[in-house]
Amino acid sequence: MNTQPIHLTEEDLVLLYYREPGLPGGAREHLRTCGTCSAAAESLAKTLNACDEWTVPEPPVDFSRGIWAGVAPRLEPRARRSWLLPARWLVPAFCALLLAAFLIGRVSKKPEPALAAGLSDQARQRIMAITLADHLDRAELLLTEISNATDTAPDFSSARYRAQDLVGEGRLILQTISAETGETATTSLLDEVERFMLEVANSPDRVTPEELQTLQRRMNSGSLLFKVRIIQSNFRTEGQKS
Amino acid sequence: MLNTQVAEIPAAQSEEFAIERVRRGDRDAFRVLVDQHARALFRLAYRMTGNEIDAEDMVQETFLKAWKQIAKFDGRASFGTWLHRICTNCTLDHLRTRQRRQETQPAVHAAKEDQSDPLSQIAGESPSPERLALSGQVSAILSATLADLTVMERTAFILRHYEGMGIESISNVLGVQPGAAKHSVFRAVQKLRQALEPVAGK
Repeated sequence: MNTQPIHLTEEDLVLLYYREPGLPGGAREHLRTCGTCSAAAESLAKTLNACDEWTVPEPPVDFSRGIWAGVAPRLEPRARRSWLLPARWLVPAFCALLLAAFLIGRVSKKPEPALAAGLSDQARQRIMAITLADHLDRAELLLTEISNATDTAPDFSSARYRAQDLVGEGRLILQTISAETGETATTSLLDEVERFMLEVANSPDRVTPEELQTLQRRMNSGSLLFKVRIIQSNFRTEGQKS
Repeated sequence: MLNTQVAEIPAAQSEEFAIERVRRGDRDAFRVLVDQHARALFRLAYRMTGNEIDAEDMVQETFLKAWKQIAKFDGRASFGTWLHRICTNCTLDHLRTRQRRQETQPAVHAAKEDQSDPLSQIAGESPSPERLALSGQVSAILSATLADLTVMERTAFILRHYEGMGIESISNVLGVQPGAAKHSVFRAVQKLRQALEPVAGK
């Protein structure tokens, strides 16, 4: 019977060289007794040791001073807490205010409140169209960025925050529209956008290529970006027309 | 002013002290951190980019990002490790951009590649003629082989071989599964071995 010894693979030898875990059991003992493997390990070590010939030029003594000179003028001052809303919140806040006014108008029919009384049906529709178009515009921007992201560990922290904002804003809009019109193509789209944004908001700050591809596949399978673009464009036109 | 205060307390604590002040927007404290870490980051960036100008740019970018993101530093890893991660990611982005640009301009790429040869400026440590000859030969082959590696393979190899980072940490930095990081190191070693063995491995 042929009892040929099982030798260590090149990968095992690399793990051994770098003292990495994950070696098969008995690998070290085998290396001590097997001439073929110890010769291969020695040869690999020589090759990798040769890579140490690559030294880095020593930067000048005042190197860090030069770095500081380049960095210091570009350091942004730390943001101070302010009672004012940051600029990125202004549009959503304004939309929320309009929607709140709209809801008050819907709920309190008698006696007619001054604010709701001041809004004609046409004006309400216009506000709603603009609000929806703005919301879908922001969603489209984020979806496009995710769709175009490369498969190598993109930083998702900013996308997550934006998705969280969109989820909150979308829910408010969805409630308003559902109360007004019931189930429509727009409400199902908003629902779909919310589900996707929730997924993005719950992703880690740095997603793996696989996670990114899963998100992209999900987005593409339902043609979400396409639908958002179409409906956003319809509402934008409607808001401008009225 | 801050340097005087920092000099009065032990090194590890002085870094913590500086980080705490940077969180509050203290630029002098940030300068202390720049002084402490700039050279180590330069070595990493130089190995990844292969030239001093790009490496210096990457060190600057790293510190700018660190200033912006200091609130995210949670102290689980050392501050130096955290900076190394930022530097690796900045440099990876830079290399990918450079690669995309070069792919669209192959002729220009070939000409510039020779000028920015990471090893062309490097001399062997030993002055003996034999060592210099071997070192020069090894350097030339290393240069060509490293240039042929993918960005991922090259980065994984540099982090493993020159920065002494474990596979687990490399996978964190690259944002890939440990298996993928391990295979990038394997592939890099395999290609380097094939290229270098005739002069160094026998």
